[in-house]
Amino acid sequence: MSLKTVLALILLCLLAVVSCNRSSGPAASKLLIYTPHGQAQLRDFIARYQQQYPNTDVQFLDMGSREILERVRAERNRPQADLWWGAAHTTFQTAADENLLASYRPSWSDKVAASTHDPQGRWYGVYETPEVIVYNNEAVRPEDAPRDWDDVLDPKWRDKILIRNPNPSDSMRAIFGAMIWRFHKDTGSPEKGYDWLRRLDANVHEYTADGTLLMQKLARREGLLSLWNLPDVWIYKEQRGFPLAYVIPASGTPVISDGIAVVRGAPNEAEAQRFYEFATTPENLVLAARTYYRVPVRTDIDRSHLPGWMNEPFNRMPVDWELLRNQGNDWLRYWDTEIRGRSK
Amino acid sequence: MSYNTSSRLSFTRSPRLFLFLITGVVLLYGVIYPNLEVVVTSLQRDHQWTLANYREALSQSAVLESVLTSLGVSTLTVLFCALVGIPLAFLFERYSFPARRLFAVLAALPLVLPPLVGTVAFIFLCGESGILSRLVQSALRLETPPWSLRGWTALLLFHTYTMYPFFYVLTGAGLRRIDAGLAEAGRSLGAGSVQVLFRVVLPQLTPSIVAAGLLTFMTSMASFSAPLLFGGSVRVLTLEIFTARQRGDLELALTETVILAAFSLGALIFFQRYEGTRRFAAAAMKGTGRRLKPITSGKARAAAVVCGVLFATLLVLPVATLILVSFAQDGRWTTQTLPPAYTLANYARILTEKDASEVFVNSLSMSAIAALAALLWSFCVATLARGKGSRVWKRLLSLLVLVPWALPGTVVAVALAEAYGKPSPLLRSYVLIGTFWILPVVYFLRFMPLVVRAVQASMEQLDPALEEAAGSLGARWWRRFRRVTLPLVWPGAAAGTLLAFVIALGEYVASVLLFVPSNRPVSIAIASELRDFNLGAAAAYGVVLMGIIAVSMIVAARFERWRS
Repeated sequence: MSLKTVLALILLCLLAVVSCNRSSGPAASKLLIYTPHGQAQLRDFIARYQQQYPNTDVQFLDMGSREILERVRAERNRPQADLWWGAAHTTFQTAADENLLASYRPSWSDKVAASTHDPQGRWYGVYETPEVIVYNNEAVRPEDAPRDWDDVLDPKWRDKILIRNPNPSDSMRAIFGAMIWRFHKDTGSPEKGYDWLRRLDANVHEYTADGTLLMQKLARREGLLSLWNLPDVWIYKEQRGFPLAYVIPASGTPVISDGIAVVRGAPNEAEAQRFYEFATTPENLVLAARTYYRVPVRTDIDRSHLPGWMNEPFNRMPVDWELLRNQGNDWLRYWDTEIRGRSK
Repeated sequence: MSYNTSSRLSFTRSPRLFLFLITGVVLLYGVIYPNLEVVVTSLQRDHQWTLANYREALSQSAVLESVLTSLGVSTLTVLFCALVGIPLAFLFERYSFPARRLFAVLAALPLVLPPLVGTVAFIFLCGESGILSRLVQSALRLETPPWSLRGWTALLLFHTYTMYPFFYVLTGAGLRRIDAGLAEAGRSLGAGSVQVLFRVVLPQLTPSIVAAGLLTFMTSMASFSAPLLFGGSVRVLTLEIFTARQRGDLELALTETVILAAFSLGALIFFQRYEGTRRFAAAAMKGTGRRLKPITSGKARAAAVVCGVLFATLLVLPVATLILVSFAQDGRWTTQTLPPAYTLANYARILTEKDASEVFVNSLSMSAIAALAALLWSFCVATLARGKGSRVWKRLLSLLVLVPWALPGTVVAVALAEAYGKPSPLLRSYVLIGTFWILPVVYFLRFMPLVVRAVQASMEQLDPALEEAAGSLGARWWRRFRRVTLPLVWPGAAAGTLLAFVIALGEYVASVLLFVPSNRPVSIAIASELRDFNLGAAAAYGVVLMGIIAVSMIVAARFERWRS
């Protein structure tokens, strides 16, 4: 290859870059969404949004909610995203405290419970996510499945439980936090909760790196039992045909408010607000409930349109979320260093 | 001073000052400033200088444990890779047997397997519910899976599989450079073949083996996806950094980052002492090459072929698994040994969707920009490192160039995010994070050491007399470079550039922290599909990526042959 060829190649590459940068096309306005809600739901919502607003170029990046927090943090001096759709209210409150979110009061702001939004309007809850006990129903009969949290500590589940790594997962943080809170509310110390997690650790077969691997390994019977969030269980059960069933723990379960927020300094703030409203209309909430198993937070929804299981009553655990948010990192660090994998 | 003036003058006629400037600027912006920023941050708390972060980190037993585990894993990885890679290199470089060339190429295959793709393929193949495990389970009618892909064994197995090519490739190259005459002389003086091996051949190979060991050690220290996915309860430093970041423990994460970097750099500095011995191998080039020894005896020949086929199967299995899964219908593969239903839908999906073709264009163009920039820049560095100047200065130069290679991808990304995620003294108000250019920059920084090493190695083997001859015939610097140096150095440089390009194509760990929609690379698309449990689509992306890598390597090889 002569020097000329090399130079020609470089030129060619530069041309390619310039041309593909241009090919993104002149749309009237743009919108970038960070979301953990999965490609299927996002593509569906964006396609229908663009039917209404054809001149908007909507893009999304799908990442775990904690990854989004890290990214929004890193980009605080040059925000890329306009809208952040999906994360536990605890994560959103952390982001709000770090001044990463802009305040926006949606048109339905009076139609939600006070606990499911930030007082300053920097995030609002959209969906509710209850945490459940999930098991492989080809390997475990329903009558043998655990009824409550403490049942999973039974020695008969030794080496049968799969747990998703809690550090990056809002659901697992909520579950672990709730287990510590159960004892903390009486004793004022996490010690008893740590003991609970220690006994769980003794039964754990593996801590999986992510939720996908968790579901896969559960379906393939690497373990028989797990703790996970209800919408995901429904998606894998119905859309993927996985052999799963769930139990809502009898003594009550923590329920996360899965929220939405406009990013502070968003390049396309008005467009972000428009999508915010679009994603949370009653019609779209019902659609998300039916197709993606998301339980709506808005109180003015006609609940007869929702799938039957969403209207079945269950016990809510009155978790002290502020405590979880403030102490959660220390608890997790302790779990990480002193409990994980140490009980065998 | 005065007697030096004439030689100084001849420098200025070469564009030495210009090269010096480029090299300096790149090192300052890409290596020195971002890493210094990380070190400074780790030494501060509320803008006060303190060692508190280190005291806290080192007082935690988990951190100490992870440091020791990382070192242990890496040392064992080096050992196992050497045990596999060196004998293989001898086999393929010394003996001829049927299909030798095919096996020789296959043996380097894991080198170009993108890490994320490799780990996924490995899980499908050897995982607890993977094909091999299910096969054994059903063959032996076992109640439970015969093994679980977790912990030290799994980690070391995967590391050996992906990293032994460093030993294989470098030892092979070293063997090709060895002067067969020396071994011949040894033998004629009455040395037995074992003695020749240990007293003549291996000493000549030391630089290659040390270089391979260093590469393996640093890559293993930086390994992330493997411990994440099947490390089990093995705590390595990269994972600790990751979890600390996810907990929001940013100070601890940065401190652990500096600790990890210190160990990798320490190994680098320690082993660089062996660099000097390289000239020994270079000098030997003037001797005669060694002919391949044909394996003629029927039994040995059959044994060699059987071993070759077995070995090749082992190497190809993960790739074959990936191809198989790419045709599997999603969601149907649960407790069966092999996926029960097949479809073309995965390929149809990624080939027709607009964002799918875009990620390939993005990865290709960004890797090409990074690789070509690395090529141009490595000539600057190699020319400077070869020219006159003090030894200390040159060692510092080659150390600085290697720093990004010694650092895990996450660390490079975090350092850049720290340094250029806000207005900085170097870039003023320009914030690089969030632009298209951040990824080409990261790819350049991470993989330019490969190109620099390749160019430097080729230049070291260049006889200075050739250039001097050209100079005395009146050729200026540029003409000498273009007509004498470049043609001789080109094969090595091209190979290094191609390797950097191919590895950049599959880069994941740094990309995941820094990508934006306009530069979303293939690896991120794969990760997205995995997140959504579209395993077939993820595998299909992986297969197309490997196809692109294979095509570019074949085209490059053809091109080289056609040129010569």
